[in-house]
Amino acid sequence: MSDFDHPPRPLVQRLGAILWPSFFAAGVASMVFFAAIDPAELAEISALPYWPESRELGYTLGFLLFWTATAASSTFTWILLRPASRFNRRPG
Amino acid sequence: MAAPQGTVEYESIYKSEGKVYPREVSGTFQRLRTAAVFWLLGMFYLFPWLSWDGRQAVLFDLPARRFYIFGLTFWPQDFIFLALLLIMAGLALFFFTALAGRLWCGYACPQTVWTEVFLWIERLFEGDRHQRMKLDRAPWTWKKFLRKGGKHLAWVLFAAWTGFTFVGFFTPIRELGGRLFSLEWGFWESFWAVFYGFATWGNAGFLREQVCKYMCPYARFQGAMFDRDTLIIAYDPRRGEPRGPRRREIASVLERERGLLPLAAAQAAVAFHAWQTAQKGTARVTTGLADQPPPAAPKASRPEELGDCIDCTICIQVCPTGIDIRNGLQYECIACGACIDACDGVMDRLGYPRGLIRYTTQNLVEGGKTRILRPRVLIYGTLLLSLAGLWSYGVFHRSDLGLDVLRDRNALYRETLAGIENSYTLKISNRLTEPRRLRLSVEGAEGVIVVEPAEAFTVGPDRVERLPATLRAAHGTLHGVQQIRLVLTDLERPEHRAVRETRFFAPEEPLR
Ligand code: SF4
Ligand code: SF4
Repeated sequence: MSDFDHPPRPLVQRLGAILWPSFFAAGVASMVFFAAIDPAELAEISALPYWPESRELGYTLGFLLFWTATAASSTFTWILLRPASRFNRRPG
Repeated sequence: MAAPQGTVEYESIYKSEGKVYPREVSGTFQRLRTAAVFWLLGMFYLFPWLSWDGRQAVLFDLPARRFYIFGLTFWPQDFIFLALLLIMAGLALFFFTALAGRLWCGYACPQTVWTEVFLWIERLFEGDRHQRMKLDRAPWTWKKFLRKGGKHLAWVLFAAWTGFTFVGFFTPIRELGGRLFSLEWGFWESFWAVFYGFATWGNAGFLREQVCKYMCPYARFQGAMFDRDTLIIAYDPRRGEPRGPRRREIASVLERERGLLPLAAAQAAVAFHAWQTAQKGTARVTTGLADQPPPAAPKASRPEELGDCIDCTICIQVCPTGIDIRNGLQYECIACGACIDACDGVMDRLGYPRGLIRYTTQNLVEGGKTRILRPRVLIYGTLLLSLAGLWSYGVFHRSDLGLDVLRDRNALYRETLAGIENSYTLKISNRLTEPRRLRLSVEGAEGVIVVEPAEAFTVGPDRVERLPATLRAAHGTLHGVQQIRLVLTDLERPEHRAVRETRFFAPEEPLR
């Protein structure tokens, strides 16, 4: 490979590439999870003391939790793929 | 400081990405696409308003955890069918992509379908391609303001209706509409209506082809499902090259002496023009196509040597993604067929046979033979058919009485005066639309009787009921663990039974 250094992408592209795939993955995960588990029953599990009683809130909270996890993973991937030049900045 | 060469190239290409103004086109494929738009969006906007058996025909009732699709009701226990359906959708995508390329993108993808409608609205207010480009360049006047404002207002209204319809699949739509003007929507209803409307508006009005190019995973991996026998939309360079305008009338190469160009010369011409396109920025081009150094392209010194392409660039102007299909198969191409219709129109006017750009396969354009039934097509097809069969059989033979048994987690058994008792929680689901009388019994162990619920009991229609159950065995009759079966029988329909295995615990036999 040559020493080609890709120019930084615009912020919108970076955000999009992290948020959108993770949104998609979180959607699929929530669907599978809540098809098997009734959010109302989660409230009865004593290991989850703050789980909301209402199903709508349960679905939402579950989805947001999944999205946090998938977005964190996407962000991690992005950090690992950043070229060295972004870290080895010349001073000045 | 000199930047790496690739950087400059990337930047110049990146910046040349202006707005695409697709030119309107008419023809066979455009009619097909219009039909697809009406059919698919018709289903979307109409279905929530239909009724079936006194309730909304298509309703995904998340709070109640029930999906109603016409005569079918899906429960959370039916998740396997949803999973199978998703697998089938994936397989179908593989199958159709291997067979006929990006059919999905061109005709069925919501992104394409909604973009088409937004384009219609845009044309209504701002006119054809030429007028739209002129309007965008013109200074702001009242007329421009009215035209643009009208378009945006229509877009927003249409998007808002789309968001409302979307929520109408999850909350009964008539009731939702009734609550609209009294502002009695719940937070989540409002959120999803706005969110979905906003996404439609942004994706179909502004992002358009960028969704396909930058956001869609399918666009990136569909190439892996292609082979040289996949149906693609392609320009025939052997027939078209060398391209160029002509002053006097000459017949199509198919009807004159020159005939089709040799493959190598045709490919050289394509490579040269792809490179040139990148230099001039007349159409969008991916760096991969532009990287190659320009090879010598065949030139026409006399009109008789010209190919059939008159280089009118109409095929580029109609392209919703702004590419030049004459540069070869590109991942940006969503296979919408607009360039086929456009070029066919040009060929008609010239009196040439149609099909300079056409549905074909890589093998065919290169003068070879093509096969439809290839191993991958057969394998995907067989898998798809068997899954579809399995799915339909499963859906129509679902049991409509469900029983789940949970053992009491606190104690293995209880010793009472009457004997050894075990407690359970039953989860009983009645999927019928009428109440049932049910009775619980035990099988598989002598001497175990049902203490609770001793009598027959009723479970309401379309309901899941949780019920405590107690079994008892007389002292000294049983020791250790017993495998037993709990049986639920419908008193009016004895053939409806639900059976679950579980365990009954009793004290170990005392040592002597
Ligand atoms: S090249 Fe453009 S116009 Fe032709 S099929 Fe592909 S996307 Fe449509
Ligand atoms: S529309 Fe047909 S004739 Fe015109 S430039 Fe495209 S390929 Fe050539």
